[in-house]
Amino acid sequence: MHELSLALEVGRLVENHLRATPGRLVRVGVKVGLDAGVEPENLAFCLESVFAGPPFHGAETVLERVPGDVLRLDFLEVDDGRPDD
Amino acid sequence: MAVRTIEVRESLMARNNELAAAVRQRLNDAGVTMFNLVSSPGSGKTTLLERTLVALGEELGIAVVTGDVQTQNDADRLARHTARLVQAVVTGGACHLDARQVTEALDQIDLSATRLIFVENVGNLVCPASWDLGEEAKIVVFSVTEGEDKPLKYPKMFRQSRYAVINKMDLLPHLNFNLDQATAFARQVNPELEFFFTSALHGEGLDEWFSFLRSRVGASPRV
Repeated sequence: MHELSLALEVGRLVENHLRATPGRLVRVGVKVGLDAGVEPENLAFCLESVFAGPPFHGAETVLERVPGDVLRLDFLEVDDGRPDD
Repeated sequence: MAVRTIEVRESLMARNNELAAAVRQRLNDAGVTMFNLVSSPGSGKTTLLERTLVALGEELGIAVVTGDVQTQNDADRLARHTARLVQAVVTGGACHLDARQVTEALDQIDLSATRLIFVENVGNLVCPASWDLGEEAKIVVFSVTEGEDKPLKYPKMFRQSRYAVINKMDLLPHLNFNLDQATAFARQVNPELEFFFTSALHGEGLDEWFSFLRSRVGASPRV
Protein backbone atom coordinates (compact mmCIF):
# COMPACT_ATOMS: atom_id res chain seq x y z
CA MET A 1 0.00 0.00 0.00
CA HIS A 2 2.90 2.34 0.71
CA GLU A 3 4.09 1.72 -2.84
CA LEU A 4 0.66 2.62 -4.20
CA SER A 5 0.77 5.95 -2.31
CA LEU A 6 4.14 6.65 -3.92
CA ALA A 7 2.92 5.66 -7.38
CA LEU A 8 -0.05 8.02 -6.99
CA GLU A 9 2.36 10.78 -5.95
CA VAL A 10 4.39 10.12 -9.12
CA GLY A 11 1.12 10.48 -11.06
CA ARG A 12 0.34 13.79 -9.32
CA LEU A 13 3.81 15.21 -10.06
CA VAL A 14 3.66 14.06 -13.69
CA GLU A 15 0.25 15.68 -14.15
CA ASN A 16 1.67 18.96 -12.83
CA HIS A 17 4.51 18.78 -15.35
CA LEU A 18 2.21 17.92 -18.23
CA ARG A 19 0.17 21.04 -17.50
CA ALA A 20 3.32 23.08 -18.13
CA THR A 21 4.54 20.91 -21.02
CA PRO A 22 1.54 19.54 -22.92
CA GLY A 23 2.03 16.44 -25.01
CA ARG A 24 1.66 12.68 -24.93
CA LEU A 25 3.58 11.08 -22.10
CA VAL A 26 5.89 8.37 -23.46
CA ARG A 27 8.11 7.36 -20.53
CA VAL A 28 8.45 8.12 -16.84
CA GLY A 29 11.70 7.51 -14.94
CA VAL A 30 11.75 6.95 -11.18
CA LYS A 31 14.84 6.47 -9.00
CA VAL A 32 14.54 4.29 -5.89
CA GLY A 33 17.29 4.07 -3.29
CA LEU A 34 18.30 0.67 -1.96
CA ASP A 35 17.53 1.98 1.57
CA ALA A 36 14.32 3.82 0.67
CA GLY A 37 12.10 1.23 2.35
CA VAL A 38 10.36 0.45 -0.91
CA GLU A 39 9.87 -2.89 -2.61
CA PRO A 40 10.86 -2.09 -6.23
CA GLU A 41 8.83 -4.79 -7.95
CA ASN A 42 5.76 -3.74 -6.04
CA LEU A 43 6.35 -0.07 -6.90
CA ALA A 44 6.92 -0.99 -10.57
CA PHE A 45 3.59 -2.81 -10.59
CA CYS A 46 1.79 0.11 -8.93
CA LEU A 47 3.35 2.58 -11.39
CA GLU A 48 2.26 0.39 -14.28
CA SER A 49 -1.30 0.43 -12.91
CA VAL A 50 -1.35 4.20 -12.36
CA PHE A 51 0.07 5.00 -15.80
CA ALA A 52 -2.09 2.48 -17.67
CA GLY A 53 -5.19 4.62 -17.34
CA PRO A 54 -6.24 8.18 -18.10
CA PRO A 55 -4.77 10.71 -18.39
CA PHE A 56 -1.56 8.79 -19.07
CA HIS A 57 -2.73 6.09 -21.50
CA GLY A 58 -0.06 3.47 -21.14
CA ALA A 59 3.13 5.44 -20.67
CA GLU A 60 6.14 3.22 -20.01
CA THR A 61 7.59 3.40 -16.51
CA VAL A 62 11.29 2.89 -15.85
CA LEU A 63 12.50 2.22 -12.36
CA GLU A 64 16.19 2.58 -11.54
CA ARG A 65 17.69 1.34 -8.26
CA VAL A 66 20.44 3.52 -6.80
CA PRO A 67 22.40 3.59 -3.52
CA GLY A 68 21.00 5.51 -0.53
CA ASP A 69 17.43 6.45 0.32
CA VAL A 70 16.62 8.49 -2.79
CA LEU A 71 13.01 8.36 -3.88
CA ARG A 72 12.27 10.64 -6.78
CA LEU A 73 10.65 11.27 -10.10
CA ASP A 74 13.71 11.53 -12.30
CA PHE A 75 12.57 12.33 -15.82
CA LEU A 76 9.67 12.40 -18.26
CA GLU A 77 9.68 11.80 -21.98
CA VAL A 78 6.94 13.70 -23.74
CA ASP A 79 5.95 13.59 -27.41
CA ASP A 80 4.86 17.11 -28.28
CA GLY A 81 3.33 15.96 -31.57
CA ARG A 82 5.53 18.14 -33.73
CA PRO A 83 7.73 16.73 -36.49
CA ASP A 84 11.36 15.93 -35.66
CA ASP A 85 13.74 18.85 -35.92
CA MET B 1 7.63 12.87 -33.84
CA ALA B 2 9.72 14.81 -31.37
CA VAL B 3 10.06 13.14 -28.01
CA ARG B 4 11.57 15.46 -25.47
CA THR B 5 13.14 14.39 -22.19
CA ILE B 6 12.36 16.57 -19.21
CA GLU B 7 14.72 16.24 -16.25
CA VAL B 8 12.56 16.46 -13.15
CA ARG B 9 14.52 15.14 -10.14
CA GLU B 10 11.65 15.82 -7.77
CA SER B 11 11.37 13.93 -4.48
CA LEU B 12 8.30 11.77 -4.08
CA MET B 13 8.24 12.80 -0.44
CA ALA B 14 8.45 16.52 -1.21
CA ARG B 15 4.77 17.30 -0.66
CA ASN B 16 4.62 15.25 2.54
CA ASN B 17 7.83 16.85 3.79
CA GLU B 18 6.48 20.36 3.09
CA LEU B 19 3.38 19.58 5.12
CA ALA B 20 5.46 18.00 7.88
CA ALA B 21 7.64 21.11 8.07
CA ALA B 22 4.48 23.24 8.39
CA VAL B 23 3.21 20.95 11.19
CA ARG B 24 6.55 21.25 12.98
CA GLN B 25 6.46 25.04 12.73
CA ARG B 26 2.86 25.17 13.92
CA LEU B 27 3.64 23.00 16.94
CA ASN B 28 6.77 24.95 17.71
CA ASP B 29 4.84 28.24 17.61
CA ALA B 30 2.22 26.76 19.94
CA GLY B 31 4.83 25.31 22.32
CA VAL B 32 3.54 21.77 21.77
CA THR B 33 5.73 18.65 21.70
CA MET B 34 4.63 15.79 19.43
CA PHE B 35 5.87 12.21 19.47
CA ASN B 36 5.13 9.63 16.80
CA LEU B 37 4.66 6.15 18.32
CA VAL B 38 5.51 3.42 15.84
CA SER B 39 5.60 -0.35 16.22
CA SER B 40 4.36 -3.64 14.87
CA PRO B 41 0.72 -4.49 15.71
CA GLY B 42 0.20 -5.65 19.29
CA SER B 43 3.31 -4.17 20.89
CA GLY B 44 1.26 -2.36 23.54
CA LYS B 45 1.19 1.20 22.18
CA THR B 46 -2.42 1.76 23.19
CA THR B 47 -1.92 0.31 26.69
CA LEU B 48 1.16 2.50 27.15
CA LEU B 49 -0.88 5.52 26.11
CA GLU B 50 -3.77 4.54 28.39
CA ARG B 51 -1.40 4.47 31.38
CA THR B 52 0.22 7.71 30.25
CA LEU B 53 -3.14 9.48 29.92
CA VAL B 54 -4.23 8.34 33.37
CA ALA B 55 -0.99 9.53 34.98
CA LEU B 56 -0.19 12.65 32.98
CA GLY B 57 -3.14 13.45 30.72
CA GLU B 58 -4.22 16.54 32.64
CA GLU B 59 -0.82 17.53 33.99
CA LEU B 60 0.80 17.65 30.56
CA GLY B 61 -2.31 18.54 28.51
CA ILE B 62 -2.01 15.45 26.34
CA ALA B 63 -3.96 15.00 23.09
CA VAL B 64 -3.75 11.86 20.96
CA VAL B 65 -4.12 11.19 17.25
CA THR B 66 -4.60 7.51 16.49
CA GLY B 67 -4.18 5.89 13.10
CA ASP B 68 -5.75 2.57 12.23
CA VAL B 69 -6.49 0.86 8.96
CA GLN B 70 -10.03 0.14 10.11
CA THR B 71 -12.02 0.82 13.30
CA GLN B 72 -11.49 3.55 15.86
CA ASN B 73 -11.17 1.03 18.69
CA ASP B 74 -7.88 2.48 19.92
CA ALA B 75 -9.30 6.01 20.01
CA ASP B 76 -12.35 4.73 21.90
CA ARG B 77 -10.12 2.92 24.42
CA LEU B 78 -8.04 6.04 24.99
CA ALA B 79 -11.04 8.37 25.21
CA ARG B 80 -12.15 6.51 28.35
CA HIS B 81 -9.07 7.83 30.14
CA THR B 82 -9.25 11.49 29.24
CA ALA B 83 -11.74 14.28 28.79
CA ARG B 84 -9.40 15.72 26.20
CA LEU B 85 -9.64 15.10 22.52
CA VAL B 86 -8.61 11.81 21.00
CA GLN B 87 -8.66 12.22 17.24
CA ALA B 88 -9.06 9.02 15.20
CA VAL B 89 -7.76 8.73 11.66
CA VAL B 90 -9.06 5.67 9.83
CA THR B 91 -6.70 5.24 6.91
CA GLY B 92 -9.07 2.96 4.99
CA GLY B 93 -6.32 0.59 3.89
CA ALA B 94 -3.21 2.76 3.92
CA CYS B 95 -0.35 1.32 5.93
CA HIS B 96 0.87 4.56 7.53
CA LEU B 97 -0.19 8.05 8.53
CA ASP B 98 1.03 10.95 6.41
CA ALA B 99 1.54 14.62 7.18
CA ARG B 100 -1.70 15.61 5.43
CA GLN B 101 -3.76 13.45 7.81
CA VAL B 102 -1.91 14.85 10.82
CA THR B 103 -2.46 18.40 9.56
CA GLU B 104 -6.20 17.74 9.40
CA ALA B 105 -6.20 16.07 12.82
CA LEU B 106 -4.40 19.07 14.35
CA ASP B 107 -7.19 21.32 13.05
CA GLN B 108 -9.49 19.54 15.49
CA ILE B 109 -7.19 20.01 18.51
CA ASP B 110 -7.07 23.16 20.63
CA LEU B 111 -3.31 23.65 20.58
CA SER B 112 -3.49 26.53 23.05
CA ALA B 113 -4.69 24.03 25.70
CA THR B 114 -2.29 21.26 24.65
CA ARG B 115 1.36 20.68 25.56
CA LEU B 116 1.98 17.15 24.36
CA ILE B 117 0.56 15.20 21.41
CA PHE B 118 1.06 11.53 20.75
CA VAL B 119 0.47 10.18 17.28
CA GLU B 120 -0.25 6.47 17.56
CA ASN B 121 0.71 5.37 14.08
CA VAL B 122 -0.63 2.35 12.18
CA GLY B 123 0.93 -0.87 13.54
CA ASN B 124 3.55 -1.56 10.90
CA LEU B 125 7.34 -1.56 11.16
CA VAL B 126 7.94 -0.72 7.50
CA CYS B 127 5.95 2.13 5.97
CA PRO B 128 5.58 4.62 8.87
CA ALA B 129 9.40 4.86 8.97
CA SER B 130 9.37 6.73 5.66
CA TRP B 131 6.83 9.41 6.53
CA ASP B 132 7.76 12.52 8.48
CA LEU B 133 4.69 13.77 10.33
CA GLY B 134 6.31 16.87 11.82
CA GLU B 135 7.02 15.09 15.11
CA GLU B 136 9.84 15.90 17.50
CA ALA B 137 10.86 12.25 17.43
CA LYS B 138 9.67 8.79 16.52
CA ILE B 139 9.46 6.39 19.44
CA VAL B 140 9.52 2.72 18.49
CA VAL B 141 7.66 0.39 20.85
CA PHE B 142 9.06 -3.12 20.72
CA SER B 143 7.68 -5.88 22.94
CA VAL B 144 9.52 -8.88 24.34
CA THR B 145 6.99 -11.20 22.69
CA GLU B 146 8.59 -10.28 19.36
CA GLY B 147 11.88 -11.66 18.06
CA GLU B 148 15.00 -9.94 19.40
CA ASP B 149 16.22 -9.54 15.82
CA LYS B 150 13.40 -7.10 14.89
CA PRO B 151 15.88 -4.19 14.73
CA LEU B 152 17.92 -6.07 12.14
CA LYS B 153 14.85 -7.07 10.15
CA TYR B 154 13.38 -3.56 10.16
CA PRO B 155 16.49 -1.34 10.35
CA LYS B 156 14.93 1.79 8.87
CA MET B 157 12.36 2.02 11.64
CA PHE B 158 14.99 1.70 14.36
CA ARG B 159 17.30 4.11 12.54
CA GLN B 160 14.55 6.71 12.22
CA SER B 161 13.55 6.45 15.88
CA ARG B 162 15.29 8.39 18.64
CA TYR B 163 13.78 6.35 21.49
CA ALA B 164 12.81 2.72 21.96
CA VAL B 165 10.33 1.45 24.53
CA ILE B 166 10.84 -2.24 25.19
CA ASN B 167 7.45 -3.27 26.52
CA LYS B 168 5.75 -6.26 28.17
CA MET B 169 8.79 -6.69 30.44
CA ASP B 170 6.58 -8.59 32.93
CA LEU B 171 6.51 -11.47 30.42
CA LEU B 172 10.28 -11.70 30.10
CA PRO B 173 10.73 -14.57 32.63
CA HIS B 174 8.32 -16.71 30.61
CA LEU B 175 9.86 -16.12 27.20
CA ASN B 176 12.92 -17.12 25.29
CA PHE B 177 13.77 -13.48 24.55
CA ASN B 178 17.36 -12.30 24.93
CA LEU B 179 17.08 -8.70 26.12
CA ASP B 180 20.81 -7.95 25.87
CA GLN B 181 20.86 -9.27 22.34
CA ALA B 182 17.81 -7.19 21.39
CA THR B 183 19.30 -3.94 22.70
CA ALA B 184 22.64 -4.79 21.07
CA PHE B 185 20.92 -5.34 17.71
CA ALA B 186 19.04 -2.06 18.10
CA ARG B 187 22.26 -0.18 18.96
CA GLN B 188 24.00 -1.82 16.03
CA VAL B 189 21.40 -0.24 13.75
CA ASN B 190 21.19 3.05 15.67
CA PRO B 191 23.91 3.73 18.28
CA GLU B 192 22.09 6.89 19.46
CA LEU B 193 18.87 5.08 20.42
CA GLU B 194 17.73 5.68 24.03
CA PHE B 195 15.79 2.90 25.78
CA PHE B 196 12.93 2.56 28.21
CA PHE B 197 11.99 -0.81 29.66
CA THR B 198 8.33 -0.99 30.62
CA SER B 199 5.38 -3.14 31.42
CA ALA B 200 2.51 -0.89 30.40
CA LEU B 201 0.09 -3.43 31.86
CA HIS B 202 1.66 -3.71 35.33
CA GLY B 203 3.49 -0.40 35.61
CA GLU B 204 7.12 -1.50 35.67
CA GLY B 205 9.42 1.20 34.27
CA LEU B 206 6.65 3.73 33.79
CA ASP B 207 8.04 6.23 36.31
CA GLU B 208 11.10 6.67 34.14
CA TRP B 209 8.90 7.04 31.05
CA PHE B 210 6.76 9.65 32.79
CA SER B 211 9.84 11.58 33.96
CA PHE B 212 11.12 11.61 30.43
CA LEU B 213 7.82 12.99 29.11
CA ARG B 214 7.73 15.70 31.78
CA SER B 215 11.25 16.69 30.81
CA ARG B 216 10.32 17.01 27.14
CA VAL B 217 7.28 19.18 27.60
CA GLY B 218 7.50 22.96 27.92
CA ALA B 219 7.66 24.24 31.49
CA SER B 220 4.42 26.22 31.66
CA PRO B 221 0.91 25.34 30.54
CA ARG B 222 -0.44 27.61 27.84
CA VAL B 223 -4.07 27.32 28.95
